[in-house]
Amino acid sequence: MEEVLYNILGAVVTFIVAFVVGMTYGGLTRKITARVQNRKGPPFYQNFIDAFKLASKKTAIHHGVMHLMGPAFLMVTSVMTLLIVPVLAGNNWFPNLNFHGDLIFLLYIMTFGPLGMALGAGQTGNPNSAIGVTRGLSQMVGFEIPWVMSLVALMIQYHTTSITGLMEVQAQSGTWLMLSSPFAFIAAVMAMFGMFRYSPFDIVGAPTELASGPVSENGGKFLFVMMSAGSVFTFAKLTLYVDLFMGGASNLVVLLIKTFLLYMIPVLYGVTSPRYRTEQAVRWFWGWPTFFGFLAIIQAVILK
Amino acid sequence: MVNDKHSQKIVDFIQNWSRKHSIWVLAYGTGCGAIEIPPTMTSRYDAERLGVRGAATPRQADVLMITGYLTVKTLKRVIRVYEQMQDPKYVIGFGSCTINGGMYYDSYNTINVLDKYLPVDVYINGCMPRPEAVLSGFAQLQKRIAEGRADGATQYKENLEWYRANQKRIIPNWVMPEYNW
Amino acid sequence: METYSIIFAIFLGGAVLTYFAGKLNSILQDILFLGSVLVPTYLFFSGVSFGSAMPFSLEGISLLWGIDHYSWLFALIVLGLGSLAAVYAIGYMKGKERKGYFYFNFILSVMSMLGIVVSQDLISFFIFWEIMTWSSYLMVIYNGKDIQRVGIKYFVFSAIGAYAMLMGIVIVHSITHTFFIEDMIQAYGHMSLQLQIWIPILFLIAFAVKAAMMPLHVWAPGAYSNAPMAYTSLFSGALSKMGVYGMVLILVTLVSRLPQGIWFREVLAWLGGITAAVGTLWAIKQDDAKKLLAYSSVAQLGYIITGVAIGTELGMLAGLFLAVMHALFKGTLFMAVGAIEKQTGTTNFTEITGLIRKMPWTFLASLMSIIALAGIPPLGGFVGKWMLYESLITSDHYLLVILIFFASTAGFLYCYKFLFGFFLGQEEKEWEHVKEAPATMVVPMILMSVFMFVLGTFPGIILKPINNGLMDLGFVDSYKHLWETSVIFNNWGDHVILQPILYSIIAIFLFFLILVVWKGYKGTRYVTTKDISTSGEVPKEDENLTFSVGFTQPFLRAVAPVMRRQIDKYYTEFAKGLEGLFEFMRRIYTGNAQTYALYVVVFVVIVLLFKDVLF
Repeated sequence: MEEVLYNILGAVVTFIVAFVVGMTYGGLTRKITARVQNRKGPPFYQNFIDAFKLASKKTAIHHGVMHLMGPAFLMVTSVMTLLIVPVLAGNNWFPNLNFHGDLIFLLYIMTFGPLGMALGAGQTGNPNSAIGVTRGLSQMVGFEIPWVMSLVALMIQYHTTSITGLMEVQAQSGTWLMLSSPFAFIAAVMAMFGMFRYSPFDIVGAPTELASGPVSENGGKFLFVMMSAGSVFTFAKLTLYVDLFMGGASNLVVLLIKTFLLYMIPVLYGVTSPRYRTEQAVRWFWGWPTFFGFLAIIQAVILK
Repeated sequence: MVNDKHSQKIVDFIQNWSRKHSIWVLAYGTGCGAIEIPPTMTSRYDAERLGVRGAATPRQADVLMITGYLTVKTLKRVIRVYEQMQDPKYVIGFGSCTINGGMYYDSYNTINVLDKYLPVDVYINGCMPRPEAVLSGFAQLQKRIAEGRADGATQYKENLEWYRANQKRIIPNWVMPEYNW
Repeated sequence: METYSIIFAIFLGGAVLTYFAGKLNSILQDILFLGSVLVPTYLFFSGVSFGSAMPFSLEGISLLWGIDHYSWLFALIVLGLGSLAAVYAIGYMKGKERKGYFYFNFILSVMSMLGIVVSQDLISFFIFWEIMTWSSYLMVIYNGKDIQRVGIKYFVFSAIGAYAMLMGIVIVHSITHTFFIEDMIQAYGHMSLQLQIWIPILFLIAFAVKAAMMPLHVWAPGAYSNAPMAYTSLFSGALSKMGVYGMVLILVTLVSRLPQGIWFREVLAWLGGITAAVGTLWAIKQDDAKKLLAYSSVAQLGYIITGVAIGTELGMLAGLFLAVMHALFKGTLFMAVGAIEKQTGTTNFTEITGLIRKMPWTFLASLMSIIALAGIPPLGGFVGKWMLYESLITSDHYLLVILIFFASTAGFLYCYKFLFGFFLGQEEKEWEHVKEAPATMVVPMILMSVFMFVLGTFPGIILKPINNGLMDLGFVDSYKHLWETSVIFNNWGDHVILQPILYSIIAIFLFFLILVVWKGYKGTRYVTTKDISTSGEVPKEDENLTFSVGFTQPFLRAVAPVMRRQIDKYYTEFAKGLEGLFEFMRRIYTGNAQTYALYVVVFVVIVLLFKDVLF
């Protein structure tokens, strides 16, 4: 019983860390975007202010049960992803459920939230929401291909489908998978562009054409929950990348440095890019990223 | 604990502080004033450093910005947008046209005084107000929010009948849902 | 031994009685119909024991009926889904015409499917197979529309399959001189290589037609959507599984003895994968729910075929588990479409919107089955998908796993389209009068949703019978002890432990549900879907704001080059070519007696001229 309580406490700590880090990253992204555009930009804690304001805003209306449940779906997915991804290796404060699941399980649990969110967006009845959702799902079909290819390459090269297994491989050999399976890393990073939805793949939100798409009917507390879920999810995904390709992290500082460096790839690529149309985005993922995915699989088959 | 007077004061202070530093603007681009918004938001003046940011839909927005003259036709839409926004919400009247009609003071199809139809919290004078003036307007709004005096929405609720009467006088075929937030 | 006779007697007698009872009393007919499906079901599960066979002889041909663990699994699918669909059919057929015709064919279908799984000899197998084809054909043309296009297509493909199987049976009989399947398996090892290759091919063609595998799937979309929905849930859920049943039998017992059998497996697995991908793409394109689900069935059968074709134990388990799951969720989905069709009169996404508040139970059932279909964790579909991926990866099918993954990710698009098209979106005035379907239709759907949920948590419940069935087929049981705890794992020792994960999901979900939803629900009030941000415009009551036309256009534009080719077109071209040939043949028969006289004269002249050469 005591162990369960400790685990729950640890999960709460993990959640808080993920929330704070994700929010800060969001703020830093805004700052960096501003600096690239030669602006001063908001302070790095701006996202916290926004979140607090959204939470303190009144929410007077809803469009039905699914609309209310959409944010909850999103939150559950974020937390589950966070719990399954090993945050810090061998640290009692960050327990995880990884020994219960594996990478394919993780892939599917990660799609659970967006679909729930899509249902919530659907019930608001706003046509823009539905358009945004179909765009998002199309884009997901796009980037899942190179992403899965890269994961399959890792799995067949190292004969394991669990994240901890892949981390052990890196710990034993002493090299990061990023270096020993470079093509898989390239494919995965390219897939990451679609995952984080920065320009040129921000076709889901698209404030100028879709009025922010799926979230267009959600204000106040709804938006607050989505924003926190998004932050936690960002952190969880970055940690997953670090675990898979950069050997994980043994303390928080190393983790923050690694995740931040990774996070800057889509952010900086996005700052200078305009937006793709949906079919262009989908086809982009089926071009070079898929090619690198193939290379990764070939490499894995040869080196198996 | 929330009912306690002192703690309520602290909560109010923190909330007002966060509201002050996070202003999401729904720029309802009526009239010619909309052209001043891009320079305000972009590199040179960069309103984002004050926490001012664009919002896509009324549900997400805090501030409704009326940028210039309002025709009778647009007024109906603006009222609808304002009523869809969630509390707390503020209105910024932008340019002379929203104050007294400006150069369209005798036009047959624009309204002259915005305050008669929507509760304006801050006016920004000028025709056109330059971005500096817009930023000063935002600063003024922030000040009022921090002091807790930006209560246009409450006034609108309290004096709804008066506002409705004014609105209905201008808008001939009134088919709008009731405002009952 | 008596049980079989009683079961089939009740089926047959019930079918005939039900047909004629309609002349007397409608309610009596319903009761008779339910009785003649449910009573044999009860008898089968209570009275039939494993390993016991019933030999008898008919016209000098000795036949054998019996059941093992493997066929019991399919009997479970057939009878379980059959009884639930029968309960549903009572509600569905209320007030429709030609009830007797429907009930008669329904009972015959269930009977013939049960007959197929209990047949241990090829003759009764073939007879039941034909009864199944005929009864389903009669159901396809029940509505009386598109008989030419849909009915004939189904009939032609079924006939091709049946003839292929008949040919196989005749060849086998000419060698073994018996019809027992057991003897065929025994004799297979001693046949010549040519026969060893051709016999499985002939049988597999028959089974691939029923399982709607590429390129023999073209009948499926039309037939599935043309039959009454109460039957289609059985058609897609159980009848197509008969193809899988036969396929597994052939693959495991015959092909695995062949050194070249690996090619069969590879080709089948790839065809399954292509079926899954192409079926999914076409499902995304459909605007009609029936068509969408029909193509989705084709795609899902593709996964199952891939799973069973790989032939590793995990792949087999995945395929058969998916088969059970597919029966559950596709049955439910077709039932939901039937309920919507009954209540609104149409199944077109572009016409119906916003039924969620009017048909909440149907929505709940559809949501659960869509989650299962998409393979998202809490429900059973995930278990099947997981095992399929793991078996593909551990058996070195790296590109196939990408193809399957593409299909299942693209599947989310049509999953969402289904839910959004019917239940979400704008609530239009046109559909204000719609009410929830009657209880007889809702209860089976909800029951099946519960099963899906239970199988997601405790897959061991169904994995154990599957495992027993595989042991009967000759697999070595290497996973047994873990089914008890509902842990699924692959050859490399990686595993997913479902229960703790599920409990965590539920706990977190409840936590946020209470925190976010309940608080939000208390503090907020409902507004209609007209109250949305439409740039300040106030939509009128009857103004249609629904987004449903061209719903997945952007994605389809991205995959347009793939979808330009249709197999249907090739078949049509082929049929047109044949028609041209026949047209030419017809010219010879002018209908004029003088011409025929001329032919005779010409013939005689030719014979006389060349008599030295000819004779």
